[in-house]
Amino acid sequence: MPDNNNDLQNRPYIEMKGIVKDFGHIRALDYVYFWINPQEIVGLVGDNGAGKSTLIKILSGVLQTTAGKIYIDGKEVRFESSKDAMEYGIETIYQDMNLIDMMSIMRNIFCGREETSRGGFLKIKDMRQKAMDVLLKGITIEGIRTPKQIVRTLSGGQRQAVALARAVYFKKKLLLLDEPTSALSVKETKKVLDYIKQLKSEGASCVFVTHNLHHAYMVADRFVILSHGKKCLI
Amino acid sequence: MHVKNSNTLKESSPFIRVGILTWLRMHKAGNIILVFGTLQVVAIIFSLIFPENFRYVSKSNMQVLFRAIPPLGIIALGVNLLMISGEFDLSVGSNFTLTALIMAKLFNNDVSLFAAFFAALLLGAFIGGFNGYIVVKSRVPSFIITLGTMWFWRGMILVVSKAASESFLPGGFFEKLFTISIGPMQVQFLWLIAIVMFTWVLLERHKLGNHFFAVGGNKQAAGALGINPNRVKIIAFIITGVFTAFAGIISTTRVHSISPIQGEGLELQAIAACVIGGTALMGGHGTVLGAFLGAALLYTIQDFLLLLRAPGFYLRMFVGIVIVVAAILNQILRKE
Repeated sequence: MPDNNNDLQNRPYIEMKGIVKDFGHIRALDYVYFWINPQEIVGLVGDNGAGKSTLIKILSGVLQTTAGKIYIDGKEVRFESSKDAMEYGIETIYQDMNLIDMMSIMRNIFCGREETSRGGFLKIKDMRQKAMDVLLKGITIEGIRTPKQIVRTLSGGQRQAVALARAVYFKKKLLLLDEPTSALSVKETKKVLDYIKQLKSEGASCVFVTHNLHHAYMVADRFVILSHGKKCLI
Repeated sequence: MHVKNSNTLKESSPFIRVGILTWLRMHKAGNIILVFGTLQVVAIIFSLIFPENFRYVSKSNMQVLFRAIPPLGIIALGVNLLMISGEFDLSVGSNFTLTALIMAKLFNNDVSLFAAFFAALLLGAFIGGFNGYIVVKSRVPSFIITLGTMWFWRGMILVVSKAASESFLPGGFFEKLFTISIGPMQVQFLWLIAIVMFTWVLLERHKLGNHFFAVGGNKQAAGALGINPNRVKIIAFIITGVFTAFAGIISTTRVHSISPIQGEGLELQAIAACVIGGTALMGGHGTVLGAFLGAALLYTIQDFLLLLRAPGFYLRMFVGIVIVVAAILNQILRKE
């Protein structure tokens, strides 16, 4: 176990040590050691129920560990909620993509992080412009015409684009992608993968959870395989 | 390249050439605007053709409408916010009466008028906040919790009032503030319009409004995006409580007394107004204009039937039909 990593130069961006997570008497994660280097894409693979999603949820603050510690840049952190994780620049894109169907693209991108004037009033024009810019700059997936469009009317790929656009706009250091390509067409998948590579070149790290080894192989720098809550391969 | 892209985006935007029909179709409350507008036009034409038999456009009739709509309208605006956040409040009818009753009791026992007024608003906020607190802590559906608090506060009304009506004769400036009429217009209706505007700004132009939609639309997602759903829901409950108390105050100031059975059934009328206005029962969708027009529509239809001298028992049947038809129409439109 590379437990005492004293080399400051090569210190991982995030380290998770001895992570245990129990759901009742079921042990979902069993002393997992996991780390992510700066500007690295890690492919997290494993069978259904292997604990991939649990690990991601712990890292994004949605779930709390039963035991184990998380370090960011060598400092121990505790995530009580997703808000805490977000403050450290960790953005998660879930399978269900965390979009609110009945709201517009713009309102989704800024949801919970609205730009407001004093008194909490929304700067609608500013946000709309920024949403437009970020949609144009990122993966321009056809069919998105205006940030006013309601998310429910979008296709799987378009929704993924919106979720990614949100992460890009807020310049996240670490992107957690839970099955980002499972609902996408071949063409859309390629765009998403290109996009992940682009994010890496801009300085972000990424954990990419997938069933599809082929997709992961195209972008990942390193693989971690989980099986029954245990890490079985680097 | 970039500039060219944004140009094509603008050109293909549906907001460039806007006809009235497209605008209605795009508008979230287009459905109710269309129905309400059509009804008004038809009613006005009829009353001009048959001024003796259908006195819709008469000063007295307009006064009746402008007086009748505000209490339900104001409550519906609060309930609308709450329904958008994914919760119900069945205790608004009891809140409406209890707060007004406490105000009247305090005033009749030599408490100053404005102190009694603020005490009523504060009690409304407490009733709302209390509902919200129990709902988010217990995670029992608000429908059940507020069904309980509805009866609890209704019982409290009987205890406080000893089952007798309480008179309320404030007089002076206070009474003028809530009852004065300017031609056919009633000041109560202006209060309603002010609250419509306030609620619209809150819902559509304020951070909190965005959170109401987010929490009602997808609670998990809202939580994962750093919004505290419990806090947002409690705020929505408190706003509903305050609006309801205010509606009770306006209504009691006009009729000069409050009876213990007043306000029964208001909770369901308020939900009906919202549903007619296109607010989703499951949360996440609704408009201020819709709830306002929904409340106005309920009274307008009753008014039509009264003007046509339809026997009273048809009123409820007709209102029932309107609610069902409106809900079905909204369902169809939302699926499109």
